[in-house]
Amino acid sequence: MAYCNKRFLVYHKSMLYFSELRAKRVQTEDGIQIGILDDLIFLALETARITKAVIKSKNNSNIIIPADAIKKINGHITIQKNYTGTEVGLNELYVLRNILDKQIIDLKGNKLVRVNDVAIQDKPFLYIAGVDIGLLGILRSLGLESLFHRLSNFWFIKHNTQFLSWADIQPLELAQGKVKLNVTQEKLRGLHPADLADYLETTNIRNISKIIDLLGKEYASEVVSELNPNYQITLLRKLGDEKAVKIISLMDPDEAVDVLLQFSPRRRQLILEKMDETKRREIENLLRFSETSIGPYLNMEFIAVKPENIVRQIIDQIKKETGDIGDLNCIYVTNKNDLLIGVFNLHELLLQSPDTPVYRFMIQNVTVTHLNSPANTVLRTMIKYHLYELPVVDAAKKMIGIVKRDDIGELFLDRI
Amino acid sequence: MFHFLSKVRGRILIFLMVFGPATITAMADNDAAGVATYSLAGAKFGYSILFVLFIVTLLLAITQEMGVRIAMVTGKGLGDLIRERYGIKISILVFAGLLIANMGTVIADFAAIKITSSMFNLPILPFIIFIVFVSFIFIAKGNYKTNQNIFLISGLFYIAYVVSAVKAGPDWGKALTSIVIPADVRLTKEFVFGAIAVLGTTITPWGQFFINSYVIDKKITTDKLKYEQLETFFGAFLTNFFSFFMIVATAATLFTHQIPLVSGEQAALAIKPFAGHLASVLFGLGILNAGFMGIVIVSLSTAYAFAEFFGVEGSLDAPFEKGKLFYGLFLFQLIVAAGVTLIPSVSLFKIVFYTQSLNGILLPAIFFFLLKLTNNKELMGKHINRSWYNYFAVGSSIVIIIAALFTVINSLVSI
Repeated sequence: MAYCNKRFLVYHKSMLYFSELRAKRVQTEDGIQIGILDDLIFLALETARITKAVIKSKNNSNIIIPADAIKKINGHITIQKNYTGTEVGLNELYVLRNILDKQIIDLKGNKLVRVNDVAIQDKPFLYIAGVDIGLLGILRSLGLESLFHRLSNFWFIKHNTQFLSWADIQPLELAQGKVKLNVTQEKLRGLHPADLADYLETTNIRNISKIIDLLGKEYASEVVSELNPNYQITLLRKLGDEKAVKIISLMDPDEAVDVLLQFSPRRRQLILEKMDETKRREIENLLRFSETSIGPYLNMEFIAVKPENIVRQIIDQIKKETGDIGDLNCIYVTNKNDLLIGVFNLHELLLQSPDTPVYRFMIQNVTVTHLNSPANTVLRTMIKYHLYELPVVDAAKKMIGIVKRDDIGELFLDRI
Repeated sequence: MFHFLSKVRGRILIFLMVFGPATITAMADNDAAGVATYSLAGAKFGYSILFVLFIVTLLLAITQEMGVRIAMVTGKGLGDLIRERYGIKISILVFAGLLIANMGTVIADFAAIKITSSMFNLPILPFIIFIVFVSFIFIAKGNYKTNQNIFLISGLFYIAYVVSAVKAGPDWGKALTSIVIPADVRLTKEFVFGAIAVLGTTITPWGQFFINSYVIDKKITTDKLKYEQLETFFGAFLTNFFSFFMIVATAATLFTHQIPLVSGEQAALAIKPFAGHLASVLFGLGILNAGFMGIVIVSLSTAYAFAEFFGVEGSLDAPFEKGKLFYGLFLFQLIVAAGVTLIPSVSLFKIVFYTQSLNGILLPAIFFFLLKLTNNKELMGKHINRSWYNYFAVGSSIVIIIAALFTVINSLVSI
């Protein structure tokens, strides 16, 4: 639960909700009725510990008691026999007045949603775990949550609690009547696929396939490619051919190859046949190289320019062609026959004036590698020359692709 | 002397800068349903109903001013404040009521367009689809400024009623004096209901929500509050200035010749024999324009209110991706209302009737919130209601609430 602090939040039984606590009867251990719970008071700090409770007594006056006096919370709230009344202290705020129903804005001030409910954990002490921002929070406040659960089970509707962790909220802003987040909307939406993959690996395969089902295809494919290989294969089997094909098609080609290599050749062929033409050819090409030592690390996302191009043209070309490339370090120069004749990096490009042609500043003495070079030799070369990537060429110096230090480095990850 | 002039010019410039929200809200109160009500009242009670108009102008000015002040001081819409201060349960009731009542109002406006478009031999179905389409494009694609300008130009078209009234050849002296000195008022049950209908079509729950949200969306700073208050009073005056001519147009023709009018929408045709072709056509075009204004503004007020309720981005300046709920709700309301209007078996009369009753139930609640909020020192600071103003505001609210309850009780009895 702690990990999954951003988007996915599965309904958590042991969580208490403020809407469920509010208006609960409050009585002492020996059964004397005090009143009903009206509000909770908490410390507006990184851990929002609940320190006091406001009880509306029968004669409509408010009594504030320390949270430590609360003994048990079930159908009603039981408090110590001889509690002492207290006051609101410094840095303390009210749940009802300062959080509930308030507008949530992100770091940039965009309006996101409202606080529909406040989630409270009771172990090791009472503290605010986060806020509920989903429809379920509204329904819970209206007392319709269980009805909704019954109906949705009946109609097989999937629903998740949408939840924002306290860690995402700036506690100091609460006093201003705003629930301000310390992240931007975009970041909140995009929990990094690798983080989610890590989290998913801690749960079982059934849960994984359930969550993957809920995700958008593109995001799902990124998450799947970040999963460890054992999970990948089990998961894709579980999702069925149709879905597996879709997810694999959306992966980067070199990652798709990694995944496909774990299937039996017959199954691999089956999946490939269902893919669309261009994607299939790309992957088949890579698969062919995969039997070589460098093949598995081969990356096709590179940009090649002609020596007579001028700097301005290249910048335009980069803008047009490399929008979907993960990262771009080097620009390769090939001649009319696609043979590699030079290289330069982005910094070198930027230093030139817009009208300089490439051949005036490219480095002609290019360090290259071949498909059959041993992987550790390649890595050693890269480290020695401080290179992020190396071009892979065939015997005629025709460019096949590139290999990145990050990718080939993974090979040695287990040995470190 | 020169210094004085430049100061005045500066002030006028600021006024023009803030100008818009209050006037547009007030003008939209004269939507097609409003025009229908005024026409009916004029035809039935003649100049005597003009006295009510005077009171309505005052009440509208006071209630809208409270809305503007809350919006500019707190930076929050009425929807925001109700949700934040009164919690989810009360909000859900108010917002559900608002949604249904607004839907009814939009349907009434579509119905008026439907009836009037047949007068101009416009094909009904394509015309209504066209209106839905155009409204949505303008709201979804245009920013605050373009939309404000469209509304203001649309407001300019209300001049059609002035021409219609002039063509009707009224007794101007009598009409003008009737505004301040009640003349020939016969306090029958019908007159009381007529007066309440005029009040109810001008002061509406959606109008109160809309002015708050619309002022906020314009992002005027609090230091310009005085100018915006001035605009509010101007807007209230302008609206009823036009209402005056609507009433005069039918009073001088239909009332004078004792021609009964079944529904207000037919007024455009009914005045033709007395006021001439031009007046009739202008009156009809006026109803189409008012219908369009009502449809867009009322739907927009629903969209604003619900964006505030859920706390999502709700601004005409927000791009479509950020304001999905806002724009979606706007479109949803347009489509549903247009659809209902096109079903022949639906009794539009009943819908309008129930809508008025629902508005009557909502108004007291909304004035309760308005008074509570404008008297909250913590919220309003130095802009809290002054004591004499508060008496006036409370008094106005009581008048409106009594009138509203009157409608509700009457509709309950008649069921």
